[in-house]
Parts: sequence; C-alpha cells; structure tokens
Amino acid sequence: TIASPLNLVLFALFILLLYTRLRPASKAPTLPAPPAPLVFKTFTPPQLKPFNGEDNKPVFLAVRGRVFDVTSGRNFYGPEGPYANFAGRDASRGLAKGSFDEEMLTEDLHGPLDRLEDLSGDEIESLNGWEERFNAKYLVVGKLVPVGHADAEPDDE
Amino acid sequence: MATFLERLDAQLASFLSDWNLNSTVLVVIIASLILYPILFPVEADTHPLLLARQSALDPIRNKFQSAIHRSPEAPPGQGLKSGFDLKDAGAARWAAGRDGDLRDIWREVLMAGTMQPGWARDGSSEEKLVPTGKIQTVLGREEVVEHDVQQMSKQIQIIGQHLKAKGCKKVAIYLPNNLEYLLTIFACSFYGISPILLPYNLPHPAAYALINATTADGLVCAAGSLPLDGVAKECSKIRSLVWVVEKTSRHMDWHGVPHFAKNRLTVNVWHDVVQENLSKTDDDLPTNASGDAPTDIITFWDSPTKPQIVPVSHGNMVAAIAALISALPSAQRVGPGDVVLPASSFHQPYVLCQTLAALYTHADLAITSVAQPGVEMATATRGIRPTAVIASAETLHTLHKNERYRRNSVVEEVAKYGYSRSLAAGHLPKQSSLLFRMLSPSNLISQGTKPLELRLILTSDRLDTPTPALTSRTLSELRIMTRARICYALTAPRVAGAVAQTHVYDYRVHHERDSVSKNFGIPLSSVEIWLEDKNDDAKVGGAQPEGEIVVSGPAVSGYNRSTGKGAVKLGVKGKFGEDGTLSLSYVTRQKN
Repeated sequence: TIASPLNLVLFALFILLLYTRLRPASKAPTLPAPPAPLVFKTFTPPQLKPFNGEDNKPVFLAVRGRVFDVTSGRNFYGPEGPYANFAGRDASRGLAKGSFDEEMLTEDLHGPLDRLEDLSGDEIESLNGWEERFNAKYLVVGKLVPVGHADAEPDDE
Repeated sequence: MATFLERLDAQLASFLSDWNLNSTVLVVIIASLILYPILFPVEADTHPLLLARQSALDPIRNKFQSAIHRSPEAPPGQGLKSGFDLKDAGAARWAAGRDGDLRDIWREVLMAGTMQPGWARDGSSEEKLVPTGKIQTVLGREEVVEHDVQQMSKQIQIIGQHLKAKGCKKVAIYLPNNLEYLLTIFACSFYGISPILLPYNLPHPAAYALINATTADGLVCAAGSLPLDGVAKECSKIRSLVWVVEKTSRHMDWHGVPHFAKNRLTVNVWHDVVQENLSKTDDDLPTNASGDAPTDIITFWDSPTKPQIVPVSHGNMVAAIAALISALPSAQRVGPGDVVLPASSFHQPYVLCQTLAALYTHADLAITSVAQPGVEMATATRGIRPTAVIASAETLHTLHKNERYRRNSVVEEVAKYGYSRSLAAGHLPKQSSLLFRMLSPSNLISQGTKPLELRLILTSDRLDTPTPALTSRTLSELRIMTRARICYALTAPRVAGAVAQTHVYDYRVHHERDSVSKNFGIPLSSVEIWLEDKNDDAKVGGAQPEGEIVVSGPAVSGYNRSTGKGAVKLGVKGKFGEDGTLSLSYVTRQKN
C-alpha cells in the first residue's frame, strides 16, 4: 500500500515542489536603458536657429553664451508659444529688458554675438535672475560662439 | 446504466480509498513546503531594482568622453562630498559647514564621553552624549591594552612640539601598525609638519633611497628596524630621529649617535621624550587659529611598475573619509559598539582613511602590529573579536584559496548550499538563523568557541600593483566562508581613499563579467568618473561606455575646488556596465 497510485501521485507532487523550490534562481531584474546622454555641442547662431521646435526638433535657446534645452517648456518657447521668438536664438537681451520683440534679437547671424554692454544695472540683475532660473530648470546642452570662432564646429549636412 | 460522471465518481472513490498514513505524511510535507515561505518570508536586504542601476549619470557628455558617473549621494548638479560639514558653535544653522581636516578627527575623539550641544548634527542645539570609542592595541595572543585618550593627546602635543622644535618640516614614518603611527600623523597635523608614510619592512637600501627621495628631515622609526649607522650615513638630511621602542627592548640604550653625525643628527626615544615633558605640557592642543596650518601628507604608492610619491592634502583626505563613511547605508555603517581591526598597513591610504573614519565615528579601534598586506586572517584577528576588518586583497585571496578545498561534512555542505541560495536571492542570513548555526565555526578567523561577530570586511585593489583580483564569484564564496558582508574598492595613487566601491548589499555573481574584468561598483561620493576615448566617440557614447578612466573631485590630489580642474587619468581601461558599476579589464601579463 506504500506504492499505491495515490501515494505515487503525491510523491511526484512533492518532488516537483522540491525541485521548483531548490533550483537556481532566474536572472536578476534589470531596468530599461536610460536615454543616451546628449553630446555637449558648440553652436554658432546659424547652427542654433533650426532648433526652434519645428520638424520635431528640440527647442534650444541661448543665454549669455550657454545653450539651454527648453523642450520641456515647449508651450512657451515652441512654435506658437508666446515667447517663440527666443527659440533657436540668443535671448540674453530680451530677457534682460523683459521684452519679446524682434529688436531684442541679433539680426546678423554671421556677425559677432551681442555683447550686452549698454544694459543698465537693473537689466543686468534681471538677466542674472533669469539665468539662475534657467540653470535650475533646464539642462545646458552647449555653448554659443560667433561664426569663425576657434571652437566653432563645422556644419553637418 | 452508469453515466460518465457516476463512473468518474466511482474511479475517484476507489483511487482515494487507498489513503493511509503515508499519504497523510506526504500531504503534510507538501502543505508545509507551500506554506513555509508564506508564513516566514525572507526579504532581500535591498530592492533588486536598486542594484539594477546604482550610479547617477549626467544627461550631458562631451564628445569623446562618456557621461560623468557619480554616486547617487552626489548626483550631477550637486556638489561632490568635500569634507565633514562641521558647523562650529555659533554658526548659522542653515549655513554650509566647513570641511575640516585631520585635526578635527582627533578633536572628535577627544569629545567622547562629554555632552556636546549640536552633536546630533541635525541642526538642533540640544546636548547629546558623545559615544566613546576605545583605542586598543593587541599584543600577542591574549593581551589587549586600552589607551587613555587624554594620555594620547599629551603624547601628540609632546612629540609634535619636539619635532617642530628640531625644525623638521617633513617627517618620515617607518613603523609597523601601532599607536605611535597614528599619534605621529596627528602630531604632524597639529604642528604643520608633513608626515611621509613609508611602507614597512623594506630592504635597508630601499628604505634609505625612499627617505632621501622624499627629502625627509625627520624620521620616526621602529627601534631595530633600521641600523643607526646606516641611517646616519645614508640619510644625511635627517635632523631628528625618534626611536619607537617596544616594551621588551627598553632595557637597551637607544640614545647613542654615531660621532660622524653628532652635529647634524639628534636621536631621541619616544617614551623618554614623553616622560620628560609630561609635566610641562599645556592642557590643550593648538586651536585652528593659534596653531600652524596643516600641510600635505606624502604617500608612497609602492607599485613595482610605477612607484610614485604623491602628496595628498588634508582636504583630499577628509573628502575621502567622509565619502567612505557615507558609502555604507546607516544600518551597516561602522560606529559606536563596533570593533574595527585594520589588518593591513597604515601606509596604504585606503586603510588609513578607513581607520580614521572608524575613529571619527567613535568605533572601537584595535591596532595590531602583525597587520601587513598579505597577512593571514587568522593571525591578524588573534586575540581580538572584530566586527569589521580592513583587509588587503591578498589576505582574502589566501583565505579563499585555503578554505576552498576544505572537506566539509554533509550538514555543512547543505548549509553552504542554503546560504548561497539565500545570497542569490539577495539576503545574507542573520547570525541567529538556523542556517548560520549549521555552518560550523570556522577556524579561519580566530574566535574561540563563541559565534563569530564579524559583520563587515573592507578590502581594496591597488592599481598597478600585483594584487590578486577578487571576482564576484570569489567574493560570494568569501561571504559564505566569513558570514560577513564584503565591500571591494578600487584605489589609485592620486586619489585619496578609493575611486569606487561595491555596494554592501550587492551579492550578485556575474560569470561572464568575471572572466574578463573585475568589478568595483559605483564611484564614491567624493569623486566623479568618466571614460575617455580620443578616437572612437561611439564607444563612449553607448549604454555601456568603454574607455580610459578619468577621475575628478575633491578627493583627487591636485584638484582645485574653485575652478573644478584637476582630473587625473588612471592609465587603465575601464567599462561601465548597464547597472552603472565600473569594471576594469584584467591585465593579461600578470599571472596569479
């Protein structure tokens, strides 16, 4: 009666459970890979201009030579946003004076960068404040140099 | 006419009619197998997904460089850990503390047993009792001598003033691990002298060459380890020689000076200098304002291929010490009640940083003079029951090699298997568990008949030296042999403390990775690491970058904190795995 069918079934069940309990563990869990890190790029004004949110491109803007990735603020800086003028351009003067007009942007993209020499103390202060906010909120993805600068990279495409 | 169901019912009844005692026993066993893990669940020590990505990455990288990898305690955007963050009395609560230096470590030791306001360092100014950590020396097999903190403070003062009075600016220390070693380092810190940490037991010509190469003008030496005539002749720059004499040799006269050196060299004996000046000293050690500013500590990286003399500043040391303390989660940190045994020589910066960290956190310290790289674990732990050991990789490698082929009984083998399964599931069994008690007390670590208290082993790999590699499989087997957690760190000549250290709860074994590289976990919070490859951007831009290791941060010798410049290239190739841990490829030319 030890080897009755019932006992055999129960014994088989017991062996199966023992095996599942004692076999080596499966592989450890892994996380999906994070997005690849962006490469820090040196932009000239013509190279920066395409990055204004159109054609699914990210939105960049430059403040005092540093290029910020403001794609998360697309509602403001992207196309049809209130500050869309700043996208893909040097926004330093506009932020200092608190104006989004076209006159705040440097017209000649191949000329030297805006040196901001004629700004008053208050305007410089407000520009500093804006730069701090941008630094805290957005990622610095590059720097802006004028065309012909030693660090400028050659155009792709 | 019987229906299908009626026939099935009859079959089932006849099947179950065979029920007897054996069936009951089997059912009980099956039920317990199913219910036991539900009723007594065992949780992993840490969440496995926390080990799946351990380091914090910068979302931006430079071309031909990988993203900067940092510890999650100091993610990109925050500053790296640069010191102890000490808030002096009267400072604003929210102001950043100062970094401190080695003098603050001794002041922290002096505070033990007193009530200090603000000691909790949580911003409140309520008084808390500072715990006491004993500083002990292990002599031989049975004797453990405890030292009085006030006495030690007086010795620091006397020796520091003596060396300063002799005009020594750089004092070489040629001692085995003993109390005087640490006291000399503190004496040099308080009196603006640079200590030079020399490896012990060198052949005499090598020792003289090293003393001359570092331009030492003072020497604190173990009596009998170097001949007086040799030192006086070869090392002509030495102005003051202090012998540290063991109790057993004090009947001999160590005061002689060879006549050819009488005008340039004075010879003193440590215990005599202390005895003479004991009554003359003031009460307190010099404060930061009144004393000399601390100067660099000069370390020697004794690599056979690339020996280097590296000056390390106090800023580097405290950044490394603070990072080593916070690298362990608070449940595993070394602290009051722990007995820490440095089982490797103090001249190695990692061992020194961990020892000073133990002092700073008020753990009991047990100093033994047999400690040197490669000492056997049983010899080093003789006479003391440590809870944490700072061992060299050679010690652990020997331990593993010897223990591997030991014949175990069946019960022990079963217990070992259960232990390794527990580790694979991410849990190290507690000392009170059944599994623990089934494993026989090992005579690898001297402990008599009481159960082991060892809970943590800190070990390091020294770059450019022939230290044996500890693969993750070796570490896992060592965890079973010693029943302790092991942290494996990568140390490099120009980085104080360690570059990277494995997670204390990471028990995983990676067979494929083991065959090509040794793994060191994530960067400490005092450094940041990136990989460079000047030729191939794709190699460093991928999810698992490969390239030459570059280290930067407050713990790097020569780092400028205001400009952030001063990164050092380690000169080896490394790789970051998908879990963010650093691996170094094996150097194929070195055997064993």
